[in-house]
Amino acid sequence: MSYQATNPLGEAFELELDGPWTAYWLAMLRVLTGWWFFHAGVTKLIEDGLNFAYGPAYMQQMTGTALGPIPVWMGNNLAWLIAPGVPLFETLIGLALIAGALTRLAAFGGVVFMTLFWVGNAGFGHGLVNSDFMGLLLFVTMIVLGTGRYYGLDAIIEKMEFVRQRPRLKYLLG
Amino acid sequence: MTDIIDKAAMALSGGLLVLGVVVMGLIETLAGKPFGAAPITNDAGEIVATPMIDPTIRTGLVLAGIAVLGIYAAYKLATPVPEETAASREVTAD
Repeated sequence: MSYQATNPLGEAFELELDGPWTAYWLAMLRVLTGWWFFHAGVTKLIEDGLNFAYGPAYMQQMTGTALGPIPVWMGNNLAWLIAPGVPLFETLIGLALIAGALTRLAAFGGVVFMTLFWVGNAGFGHGLVNSDFMGLLLFVTMIVLGTGRYYGLDAIIEKMEFVRQRPRLKYLLG
Repeated sequence: MTDIIDKAAMALSGGLLVLGVVVMGLIETLAGKPFGAAPITNDAGEIVATPMIDPTIRTGLVLAGIAVLGIYAAYKLATPVPEETAASREVTAD
């Protein structure tokens, strides 16, 4: 992109967070990331309802990972939560990101999911930086930049009196 | 101030991206198996179900959206940089 020699970060191609192109692209990333998870979740709901048995089984085989005994313990003891939770939470995380509502909270859920997938799939044939890790980074980016404020419902929600009086809620919105 | 070409580039590229990924993805999902863009094969490797929408069309739309951004980039490179007073927005340190 062209830029002014005096100010490479100025005007011609906005890099400020209130720049129109930045806002547009952050919203695009949010919606596409949301669709990714919504699709993963809703298709599980269609096929297995709230009983995604593969979820606990997947975690039970996650031995010898950086997460230590946690995933196996979860697979053995939290099957009652994981089996319905995986399809339900994937769907809700996706919907929240598409709508841009409770974006940071939803993206945190995405970070939890992608951490487990990245470590559990262990698709490190071409290095640690793989598509699972890129998905994880996308969710972190949603949190850091508060992407729900760009063409999302959080832009409206954060202006509500309820939130104004409780600014800490912005940690869950954004 | 975003001019009309910027807005058109955003709308067209964004529309193509969302159409190819989200809108057609939703149609594909509602149309039944396969829910994704890949055919379903049996144990023998034979295709038993194909996507309703050819993934070539969907990826084509997404690439067209990316191409619109590329064309916009070329346009920005080819047009003179507006003489703006960027310095007026700078704040001097005390």
